[in-house]
Amino acid sequence: MGKRTIPLTALKAGETATVVSIDAVFCKGCGKRWGFEKRLMDMGLTPGTKVTVVKSAPFHGPVEILVRGSRLALGRGIADRILVEVED
Amino acid sequence: MAEKRLRIALAGNTNVGKSVIFNYLTGLHQHIGNWPGKTVEKAEGTLHFKGYTIDIIDLPGIYSLSTYSIEEQISREYITVEKPDVVINVVDASVLERNLYFTLQLMGLNVPLVLALNQVDMAKKKGIEIDVEKLEKLLGIPVVPTVAIKGIGIFKLLERAVEIAEKRETPKMVVKFGKEVEDGIAKLVKMLEGVHCRYPPRYVAIRLLEGDEELEKEIERLNPEVVATAKKISKELEELHGHSCSTVIMAERYEIAGRIAREVQKLSSSTKPRLEERLHNLTTHKIAGYVIMILSLLAIFYSIFTAGGYLSEFLNELFYITEPLFYELFGTGAIGNLMWSVMEGVIAGITIALPYIVPFYIVLYFLEDSGYLSRIAFLMGNIMHKIGLHGKAIIPLILGYGCNVPACLGCRIMETERERLLAVFVTTLVPCAARTVIILGLVGKYLGIEYALALYIFNLAIIFALGRLAFKVLPGEPTALIMEMHDYRWPHLKTVLKQTWFRLLEFIKIAFPLIILGSFTIKLIEVFGLLEPIALALSPVTVTWLGLPLITGIALIFGVLRKELTLIMLATLFGTTNFAEVPGFGPIQMIVFTIVTMFYIPCISTIAALIKEIGWKKALIITIFEILFAITIGGIAYRILIQIFALGH
Ligand SMILES: Nc1nc2c(ncn2[C@@H]2O[C@H](COP(=O)(O)OP(=O)(O)OP(=O)(O)O)[C@@H](O)[C@H]2O)c(=O)[nH]1
Ligand SMILES: [Mg+2]
Repeated sequence: MGKRTIPLTALKAGETATVVSIDAVFCKGCGKRWGFEKRLMDMGLTPGTKVTVVKSAPFHGPVEILVRGSRLALGRGIADRILVEVED
Repeated sequence: MAEKRLRIALAGNTNVGKSVIFNYLTGLHQHIGNWPGKTVEKAEGTLHFKGYTIDIIDLPGIYSLSTYSIEEQISREYITVEKPDVVINVVDASVLERNLYFTLQLMGLNVPLVLALNQVDMAKKKGIEIDVEKLEKLLGIPVVPTVAIKGIGIFKLLERAVEIAEKRETPKMVVKFGKEVEDGIAKLVKMLEGVHCRYPPRYVAIRLLEGDEELEKEIERLNPEVVATAKKISKELEELHGHSCSTVIMAERYEIAGRIAREVQKLSSSTKPRLEERLHNLTTHKIAGYVIMILSLLAIFYSIFTAGGYLSEFLNELFYITEPLFYELFGTGAIGNLMWSVMEGVIAGITIALPYIVPFYIVLYFLEDSGYLSRIAFLMGNIMHKIGLHGKAIIPLILGYGCNVPACLGCRIMETERERLLAVFVTTLVPCAARTVIILGLVGKYLGIEYALALYIFNLAIIFALGRLAFKVLPGEPTALIMEMHDYRWPHLKTVLKQTWFRLLEFIKIAFPLIILGSFTIKLIEVFGLLEPIALALSPVTVTWLGLPLITGIALIFGVLRKELTLIMLATLFGTTNFAEVPGFGPIQMIVFTIVTMFYIPCISTIAALIKEIGWKKALIITIFEILFAITIGGIAYRILIQIFALGH
């Protein structure tokens, strides 16, 4: 039984995984950190937290997740940068 | 004797019920609804309690002291810099862990703190029961369970807050992190001993380790060594933990919040999904969600149109009974004429504007308080991306259908300046309630509901096209959507009706004096024989290019004040509210007139809001652009409509 690290968006609807890390993104052009990884953690997505993917909106829309008892909608762009660990 | 004054601030995550508590305490009417980010500016109100004059401050929702958007900065500024006598930390009992995370941050600020454990009714419904005494003991601050919407617990909350303020009792509990982090904090606190700073040293130390850039700058000026050391410690901690120092701190803080939450919560999980849950799943479903969205929008449109039509008809009949009465009162001379013309304006305001505005707001507030708006934002994420915005931008846009002014302010929930500008721009194109009056009251009433619907769809298409265009002018990636979707709830009827009522009062207070003044001015201009010259000066645009009756030029000028004035003044100018009997004002003219009013300029209050939000230069550009655009599109529409109507006959 191995563990795999995959982006949150690779989870199927209804699957639960553990947050490993969130990649920072730098704004194109200005080079400044957007800081959304910090915001996500402030909203509960710290490493080690269990997160459940509920569904994604069609046409590459936002992803709905459950974390620490709250329901969040995340843009796909950032959901892609949340790395989670699943057990095979 | 000096007046005993206290300042109490309400702070906490978004959508926890701060504004409900504020309204309850002060009797004021802050915007309430079930979606995150309604309050974007701090609001103040006063009340008298136990010999104190208390200023209550309602703050925008905030998830963390590491702020992310303007409205959060406002909250943080207020709490950390202006230091109220007490902070009432309002928390949502059904999402305790996440809410306590912010509470733990607040504790580090050394301000007297009281916890309002709000929405215990919602928590109970979800099967969450909280041991208040235990929570009080663990946190070391007073905890008062409340159901704000029913006023339960609010009196006690205020009592405890005043008590704490009198004792100036700051939280005793120190949020303890892991050993390595604590060592780092201790080192920094020691260095900060001699530094005179407006924040407590431990708070500064933690914030520096969390990488607070603003605070870094401030401390840099006082003692650059501290900042350098903080950076060094962060580096070391990062190497040790394999995560950035801020991540470590946030994770440890959440661990504490989680531990406390688990200790005080009793969960009784139900087996079958609750109704709210099923409704959520249905309304965000990849197919059903869109079907429901379109159907409900159509239903809303149809019901407002129908209800408005009935009301309008009814009021009309009621008012025209007074006509002979009026002439009798003032005679049919010059004075009687003048008075009647003012009366005509007022009647038009009552019979044309009110009938649509009232049902409209009832529906909008109902929708808002249910929680549906954040679901629409979820569904529309992709489409909003096409105009360079993320899904949350749809919320101010929808509010724009009510009034563009609060909608423009609401664009503060967008995180970057570029997105705020884009969102503000598209918001001004949304037909507000005033423009709805014209679409429904003129086109809908005289040409049929399908024409009105077509105009709304046309408007959406234009919004999308111009949004795309603006996106091309201001390129850049949209920032990411991060939005909480709060549970559905049955809208609180009293809140819905109250908010509608205040909207109505506001409308009456602002619009009617303007209507009276406007009608008066028109009569005066007419008496001095200036009506023709002014209308003639505008005629190359109004008559030649747009194909409208000469006199509409005057009405359009008044529309700058408020959009519904265009139609109301038109009634005064034509001397009737039955537009079907006006010669030269046929279907084509009605449609063109409505299209022009829809776009031609943001009204004066919106322009003021624009100046406030994006500066006068950009406001001016948007205003001029919209004038030119409306004239262009109106003229084109006129020429196309002539062809279409010719084909039909
Ligand atoms: N059931 C229930 N609903 C509540 C209670 N308190 C507030 N609400 C509802 O919660 C929602 C949010 O309330 P607001 O007062 O607008 O929240 P806020 O904290 O001011 O939110 P922001 O200004 O967006 O940060 C509204 O729909 C209220 O009707 C409560 O005790 N019980
Ligand atoms: Mg509020």
